[in-house]
Parts: sequence; C-alpha cells; structure tokens
Amino acid sequence: MVKSLWLSLLLTVLGVVVQTPISVLLGVWAAGRQRNRAVLSAIYFVPLLLSITAVSVLWRAVLDPNFGVPSQAKWLFGDGNLFGTQAGALGVLVFVSTWQFTPLHTLIYQGAARAVPGVLYEAARIDGAGTVRQFFHITLPQLRNTVVTSMILMVVGGLTTFDTVLILTQGGPGTDSTNTAYYMYQKAFKSFDFGSASAIALLLVLVATLVSLVMVRLTGYDRMRSTMEGV
Amino acid sequence: MKRHVRLLRTAVVGGASLAMTLSLAACGGSGDSAGGGSDEIHVLVYGDATNKVEKQLVDTFNKTSKVKAVLDTIPGADYQSKLQTIISGKQAPDVFFNWGGGSIKPFVDAGLLMPLDDFIAKDPGLRSNFLPSVFDTAVVGGKPYGIPMRGTQPVLLFSNKKVLADAGVTAPRTWDELLAAVRALKAKGVTPIALGGGDKWPTQMWFQYVYDRVAGPELFQKAVNGDKSVWASADSKKALGLLKELIDAGAFGTNYDSVKFTDGGSPALLATGKAAFELMGSWEYSTLQDAYPDFVKSDLGYGTFPTVAGGKGAPGNLAGNTNNYYSVLKNTEHPEAVAEFLKLMYSDAFVKGQLSIGNLPTTANTPKFLDGSASPAYSAYQYDLVKKAPHFQLSWDQAYPPAASTTIYQAVQQFFNGQTGPDAFIAAMQSLPAA
Repeated sequence: MVKSLWLSLLLTVLGVVVQTPISVLLGVWAAGRQRNRAVLSAIYFVPLLLSITAVSVLWRAVLDPNFGVPSQAKWLFGDGNLFGTQAGALGVLVFVSTWQFTPLHTLIYQGAARAVPGVLYEAARIDGAGTVRQFFHITLPQLRNTVVTSMILMVVGGLTTFDTVLILTQGGPGTDSTNTAYYMYQKAFKSFDFGSASAIALLLVLVATLVSLVMVRLTGYDRMRSTMEGV
Repeated sequence: MKRHVRLLRTAVVGGASLAMTLSLAACGGSGDSAGGGSDEIHVLVYGDATNKVEKQLVDTFNKTSKVKAVLDTIPGADYQSKLQTIISGKQAPDVFFNWGGGSIKPFVDAGLLMPLDDFIAKDPGLRSNFLPSVFDTAVVGGKPYGIPMRGTQPVLLFSNKKVLADAGVTAPRTWDELLAAVRALKAKGVTPIALGGGDKWPTQMWFQYVYDRVAGPELFQKAVNGDKSVWASADSKKALGLLKELIDAGAFGTNYDSVKFTDGGSPALLATGKAAFELMGSWEYSTLQDAYPDFVKSDLGYGTFPTVAGGKGAPGNLAGNTNNYYSVLKNTEHPEAVAEFLKLMYSDAFVKGQLSIGNLPTTANTPKFLDGSASPAYSAYQYDLVKKAPHFQLSWDQAYPPAASTTIYQAVQQFFNGQTGPDAFIAAMQSLPAA
C-alpha cells in the first residue's frame, strides 16, 4: 500500500520532470509562424489523437525482447528485459505517457507563447538580448501561470495513471510498478475486496487533492498575479 | 476562507462519487427478480464460443421437459464478479458454470450449493460416466458439487523436435535429463525453455508440476485445506531448490518476464526455433495450429512433465484446467428438472458438440467419437493421459479462492526473477486464505 503510493508519486514526478522541459521547448518553438513549424507541429500532435490503449498495445509489441526493437538494438537494450526489471518497467511507463501526452502540453505552451506581447521581445532586442536570454527572461516568466496549469494536469493525470500500467506491465515485475490506481483495481476486480478498494480510492482522492492544493499554494497561483503588470 | 470551504467540499464530493462508483459496481444489476414460482430453470454460463454447444443442449432439453431451461451468458471477463454479486440474491441462477475447487468453496461454506449425492443416488451415471481425476476437482469436503460440462485442458511439455534434434537431445523423462538438455541447448545458443513470464500464470505452471513430482498431490491439498505448515516442509524447500537450480542454469533465458503467452510471444519463440520447450496448457496446440500450421505438422512435439528422482508424485499426475463444472443452487425450485438437465452432460450429443469446436470432453463415452475431432491423435493422447492420471491438480490460482491469485502471481514471479528467496515465497503462500 505504502509502496504503491510511493510508486504513484515517483511516476508522477518522473512524468513532470521529463515532460515539462520537452513540451516547453517544443511549444515555444511551435509558436513561431513559419510553415515548416506548422506542418511538424501537426505531426507531433498525432499521438494525442490515438487511444491510450492502442498506444500501449503498440509499444508493448515494439518493445518485445525477441521480436521487437530490443532484439535489433542489443547495444542499447542488453537482453531486452524491459518489463522484467523495476527500472525498465518504470522507464517504459514514463516513456509511453510522455510520448502520448507531450503533444497536449506542447499545445498549451504554444498557445501561451503566442500570447506573449511582441513589444517585450522588441524592447529586449533593442537592449541587445539574444534568443537564449529572451527565452529565459521574457518567455519563461510570461509562461509562469501556464507552467502551473500544465503541471497540475500532469500531476493529476500521473497520480491516476492506470491504463498504461494495466496493459504494459500489469504492475510487475512482482509489485514493482503497482501504483495506487492499479492496486485499487487489483483489490476490487481481482480479489473482489470492494471495501479496501473503495478505501484506496478515497485515499487517492485525498492525496491528489492535497498535492494539488500544496502546488497551488507554493507556486502562488492562487494569488492570480498578472504577468502583464507594467506592459 | 470561503475558498477553502469550497475546495474541501469539492474534495469530499469527488471522493464520495469515486467511492460510490466502486460500491455500485459491486452491487450492479440487482433489482428485477427472476424465478419466483415460474416454470423455468436459469443456467448461467461463461460467455464465449462454447455457448453454441450449451445452447444446443438447452434446446434439446426444452423439447421434452415441462420445466424450461433458460441459458444466461455473461461475457468472460465479467463472469466472476457478476456471479459473486448475484449468487446470494434473488437473481441467483439454478445452475451455474464454474471452475470447481476454490471457485465454489466459498459458496459451499456459505451453504448456497446443493451436494449432488441425491442426484447420483438416483442416477449413478452422473458420477460413473465421468473420468474420476476430473470429477474429483469439484468434490469439496468429501461431497460432489459439480458435473463436468466442457473440455479438459491438461498442461503439457511442448517441444520443437527440430531444435532438439539439432542439439542432439531427446524429450526429457527425468529432471536430470531436463537439466542436461538445458545445458546442451544453451551451448547451441538456443533459449532452452520459452516462458511467458509477463502473464505470470505460465510461471505458476512450473511450480504446480515440480511440487507435485517432489511432494505428491497431498502437499498442495493440505495447504489448500488450511494447513499452512506444509509450505515450510522439507519437500516444499526441495521443490523450490530444484526450480532455483533450473532458473540458475539459464533454462528460461534472462528476459522471460518481458515475454507473454497471451500476445503470442512465447509460442512464437517455440515455433520459430528460438526456444526448444514450452510448458503450456493443451490450448497451445490450437494456438500454434492457427499461427504456424506447418510447424505443427512437422516439428511440434508434446509430452508429460519429467519425473523427479526420489519424488513422491506419480509420473502420470497432471496439472492444469481439469474441466469446467455445473453446480446447483440449494434453493432451486425444480431439482428434478435440474437432474435431468445434468444428465445431458454425458450424452452423445454433448460429446460430439464439444469435439466439433475443439474441446476434449471427459466422459466415458468420449473415445467413441475421437476420430471426428479436429486432431484425433492429439485428442486421443490427452484423453488417455487424463483417464490414467492418478491425480489431476487444478491450477493453483483456481484451487484457491479468487482473492488469492494476485498474491500467488506476485510470489511466483518474484521467486523466478530472484527478487525473493524461498523464505519469502513460503511466507507469501502461507499468507493465503484457506480454500
């Protein structure tokens, strides 16, 4: 039980840490108006349109140790026992959800980046700031509220991850990827112990609420300070 | 402060609705009641392709009987949970499908099921027409509670004859021969044994057979009946030692936990010659027949599990899915009609119907019709094994009540991948509820 909560948190943190930088960079890049960027962003968006079940089944087949990619790339995967070790199983889970959900967050950042007033960049250029400085001193601060929104979405999604676990790892090896949502499923629909399962569900709601509240408080999101002061 | 109150309320309402979804799922579908003085018996079965035969039998029955049988099917995945929900209520069926053993033990304990002694006293054929090793699986506390009603699926050791020949080994009859074969195959660069460890139940099959060969069927029988000390016995430790020896010899390769049977991974290893053996239920044959017909024709071998020197289990003992069973609710209103219905389960029409869809029935009259089955030689081989088996061990996950399966799966997987040792395995098995 405690292990499953810990695993849920670990998966969530890993998801946020991996997905946020990728989607910020992709989103800001995609905010440019060039045609090639528009075409590529449309392609990047495709994984989000697929059903998560189909995506999981697909990756399960692609990562098969004997007939999938690992059998052809032994220098990278070794014996291909991805689903038989904890690091491998968690890695696959984080990778697949990143592959699927990065487009959503990219889209959010793209929209937000386009809303940053152009005058700020003009002023920065006049002051002699290059692309990198513009990104760190204008774009990122302007995206502050968006980062919080996107992170809360990731945290809530991460804590309740279930379908990928069910299809990719079934909580294995042993209990090494049994997160709280999957643990609840096992209790309810494998062991027919609906009492404990309901208790776990309730606990999950409490933890998710608590984490969201703490995040909102820590990030100052609740004060709704504008990013447009002085513009 | 108002905002906090609102957040708190959202949390509570959200939690309550989530909790409710679960508890509703637990009692879904109660309401309209069946039965209640009607002239019907309800027969509840697991919904799949076999329903064709069950439908035929119900139709045959209804032609002559005044009390009509109604066939209710529940799609596979939901069967167990739905049954659990309705069995003690007004909607309970008169007759229902089950797996014998642990799947009905809780219902027997709750006093819901009718012992079939009276039926058998009136018509001894209800017992004598079935193979004893199969019939015994549905005997709980010395009383019979189930009539076999589908096909048997013993677990066999399948092999790729070509790979064996290339490595110069023959199908092993003893544990030492198996170890020697493993070494020879490994030297050839072949994974000796394909294992769909990702599914977990294929791993469990190895425990079932090794425990049987070392300690005989009694050890597991005692364990299931609540004597937890047997898991810590010398025989149990010896069985675990043998398994450990096999795993450490590299018999299963290193990435078996990433392979599954259910997505076709492990049968593909066997058929393409990347592995030499696979321990699997008799359905392996039809799985391979569908995907690799040429392989089945020329190179597929099958045999029984090797014996262990000094072991107590008879070489003919089997493990696997003995059969499925019809059990009868104690408060059925038409016991005579139910008895008549159950007699159809050893009729010629039943046997022909099951064979026509690839199932192997376990009745005394089955051999008469084996020539008409899809693969007569294979069917005859299995029938012979089951008929001669001194004991047919029901799969562990089914011999225990459903609640135990998660723990069993975790224990066998963790023992195989070396995460836990014998002591942790023993402790896990001792933590299971008695069946």
